[in-house]
Amino acid sequence: MLQFICFGSNHIKQNVFFRMQDLQDLDNETCWLVKELKSYIAQEADFLPRETGLNIMESAAEVGIAIPVTQFYILYLPFSSVLMCYFDVLLWCLTFIFQNHNGVSAKCRNAKVEDLWSLASFFGFSTQTFVLAVNLLDRFLAIMKVQPKHVPCIGVSCLHIAAKMVEDECNISPTHELIRISQSKFTVSDLSRMEKIISEKLNLELKAITALTFLHLYHAVIVSLTSERGEIPSIERLEAQLKACLCQLIFSKAKPSVLALSVITQEFDALQSLAMLEIVQELQRHLKIIDSELLYWRGLVAKCMTEYSSSECNKPDNKKLVWIVSRRTAQNLHANHFSVPELPTIPEGSWDESESEDSCEDMSCEEDSLCGSPGSDAEGAFFPSEFCNQGRK
Amino acid sequence: GAIRAMSSAATTPPSVDKVDGFSRKSVRKAKQKRSQSSSQFRSQGKPIELTPLPLLKDVPAPEQPELFLKKLQQCCTVFDFMDTLSDLKMKEYKRSTLNELVDYVTVSRGYLTEQAYPEVVKMVSYNIFRTLPPTDSNEFDPEEDEPTLEASWPHLQLVYEFFIRFLESQEFQPSIAKKYIDQKFVLQLLELFDSEDPRERDYLKTVLHRIYGKFLGLRAFIRKQINNIFLRFVYETEHFNGVAELLEILGSIINGFALPLKAEHKQFLVKVLIPLHTVRSLSLFHAQLAYCIVQFLEKDPALTEPVIRGLLKFWPKTCSQKEVMYLGELEEILDVIEPTQFVKIQEPLFKQISRCVSSPHFQVAERALYYWNNEYIMSLIEENSSVILPIMFASLYRISKEHWNPAIVALVYNVLKAFMEMNSTLFDELTATYKSDRQREKKKEKEREELWKKLEDLELKRSLRRDGMIPT
Repeated sequence: MLQFICFGSNHIKQNVFFRMQDLQDLDNETCWLVKELKSYIAQEADFLPRETGLNIMESAAEVGIAIPVTQFYILYLPFSSVLMCYFDVLLWCLTFIFQNHNGVSAKCRNAKVEDLWSLASFFGFSTQTFVLAVNLLDRFLAIMKVQPKHVPCIGVSCLHIAAKMVEDECNISPTHELIRISQSKFTVSDLSRMEKIISEKLNLELKAITALTFLHLYHAVIVSLTSERGEIPSIERLEAQLKACLCQLIFSKAKPSVLALSVITQEFDALQSLAMLEIVQELQRHLKIIDSELLYWRGLVAKCMTEYSSSECNKPDNKKLVWIVSRRTAQNLHANHFSVPELPTIPEGSWDESESEDSCEDMSCEEDSLCGSPGSDAEGAFFPSEFCNQGRK
Repeated sequence: GAIRAMSSAATTPPSVDKVDGFSRKSVRKAKQKRSQSSSQFRSQGKPIELTPLPLLKDVPAPEQPELFLKKLQQCCTVFDFMDTLSDLKMKEYKRSTLNELVDYVTVSRGYLTEQAYPEVVKMVSYNIFRTLPPTDSNEFDPEEDEPTLEASWPHLQLVYEFFIRFLESQEFQPSIAKKYIDQKFVLQLLELFDSEDPRERDYLKTVLHRIYGKFLGLRAFIRKQINNIFLRFVYETEHFNGVAELLEILGSIINGFALPLKAEHKQFLVKVLIPLHTVRSLSLFHAQLAYCIVQFLEKDPALTEPVIRGLLKFWPKTCSQKEVMYLGELEEILDVIEPTQFVKIQEPLFKQISRCVSSPHFQVAERALYYWNNEYIMSLIEENSSVILPIMFASLYRISKEHWNPAIVALVYNVLKAFMEMNSTLFDELTATYKSDRQREKKKEKEREELWKKLEDLELKRSLRRDGMIPT
């Protein structure tokens, strides 16, 4: 029979003696779950992005030629125009070469995945849509040599394909809306053409088995095996962590089953939930996941999680986003600036000006000659000294 | 631009056209242009005769001061410009005399004797001090209507010009002048700020600025009188044409405040300048008012909290045009705010911004969202994202789905993306909470609907039973 596992500091920790070989003793649901897991593991290799392609992306250098160009111009302005033409042509050639022959870098891919995360979140797409989109993106980029300038279109296409497969029809925004919000420069027809290309290249194997599939299954198994539901991290929390991992290209190299298990293990590790870890270990043994592999990915996941939950904020790169405002607001923004006023500043005196005029009269001569000309445009001494004595009584 | 419909019927009620969401009063009775008449009392019919005097430059230097005085006395004669045909020759003579005096004061030396002062002040007083005619105060919309200009401007302008140069002259001595430029003079000067003629107000601005600068003994009095004018304006009449000009002068005064700020000045800020924001005609002087506020805060950052709380207290609830102005001013304040001050007011501040962002008026929403394009504000938000993000999140997420204006939705995406990058963990938590809250709400709604349906069925059954349709 099911053995109840107690954990937590309030309960006496029992030695878990739980062997999954006692499968026939488990209830039907758990049984079925484990069977699913096994069959998915058998198929998951079909949906892995090609490793060689991923390696190429990792090693591709990010080319930043744009900035030096302007610097060049500033530096060489005094030189003759012929020289400038030379540089012009040279730089253009270099840019052309680098752009077309370098392919997509890991940095480029990661930035795009973050964009997809924003878009998926904004449009209310499920995590499944996002994870599937990333899977399609990676598989496509791993087998096709594409120019970096096409990556935005590819990204949005993958997201759209994934949304169509996962979401209810009513939840999917029209394509022009997707394009408008993502501030993309391509058209609706570009998008549908790209979607066709992607589908073809991936041999129409679009419904992939992803790390999320495994995550849900693992979570379900654990839930069915434990009574203390409160101690189990929510599936939403785990999903968020998985999403954070997927933003880094390196995790696309992992087998989905291993990656999902690493995320869960890492979470239990952080929660110091020993009993849970034992369940996970049993699961791992039963599914024949290699120890060293799991350990390796757990390490990377741990590192990723520290970055994700650190209080350090990544500085938002607002420059990439376009802020379009209406004409009236734009006018307002310019008009409202009350620039330097025409009236010169009148410095306040150090004496108490709230005294009555009479007492001021007695003091005024000395004060005046001391402080000079308060705000007057006239030149010279504010109060010529020969008149100083005349005012006094 | 707005099209004015002229209706000949005297009793047509003003209709309101909408341009860009802001209403405009564009129907008015055909307005008969009433030229402004001054209430100078002058004898009817008798032509004014002035004996032409020689030019100052044609007279040897020792005689010039006396001639100067004589010309001043002549210029005390005031002409009727309502009657465009009367005394044309004499009007021209006075005009050229005034011109001459302006030049004379600018370049000459040694002309300013002690006797000149009272004559100058007298001449200026005679010309400029007058009771301003009443305006069509109910119908005059300062934003839309043309102001009624001063008819005697050809002379008046030269008098002002002359007076300013006199005040700025090298030889000018405040200790002598203060016998004649006294509190009574200043009081009458301030009343003139209500003139409808913007040119006159501009000159008055310069005149008062110079007087404030040179007459230390009058400063407290001037400040007090301006206080009174503003308080009357805010709490009694809501009518005064010279608020912008007075605020400009105040700007230059505030700029020169000594530190630490006197209590009197802080009182002025809180009791006068902040309430000034509540007036309906704010748009006429808002730029100058905002400048004064920002100057105050640059002098003493500790005033930030009361200022912002004041603005939030008076936040416009029905006038969207004003909301946009407030948002502009708030951004200017945030541009100079110190991080320690920011932390003190961030909660009420962003609660208000959250409401603005959800405003159905797209210009208000747009202006509020544009804050996220301000680098300094962004850095402040970043540092305090754990406090600010929860406040903003719900409205941002909601309007991303519900707002009618697509441009606003696009801007919201920018803001949400910025937040996502700023603090991913918190953002994910909030998303999850929001989604589960929404699901719970939906569930409750569904339960409520089912309950109503059950009740309906029950009612139906009961009525059928009563009618004998269903056997009991």
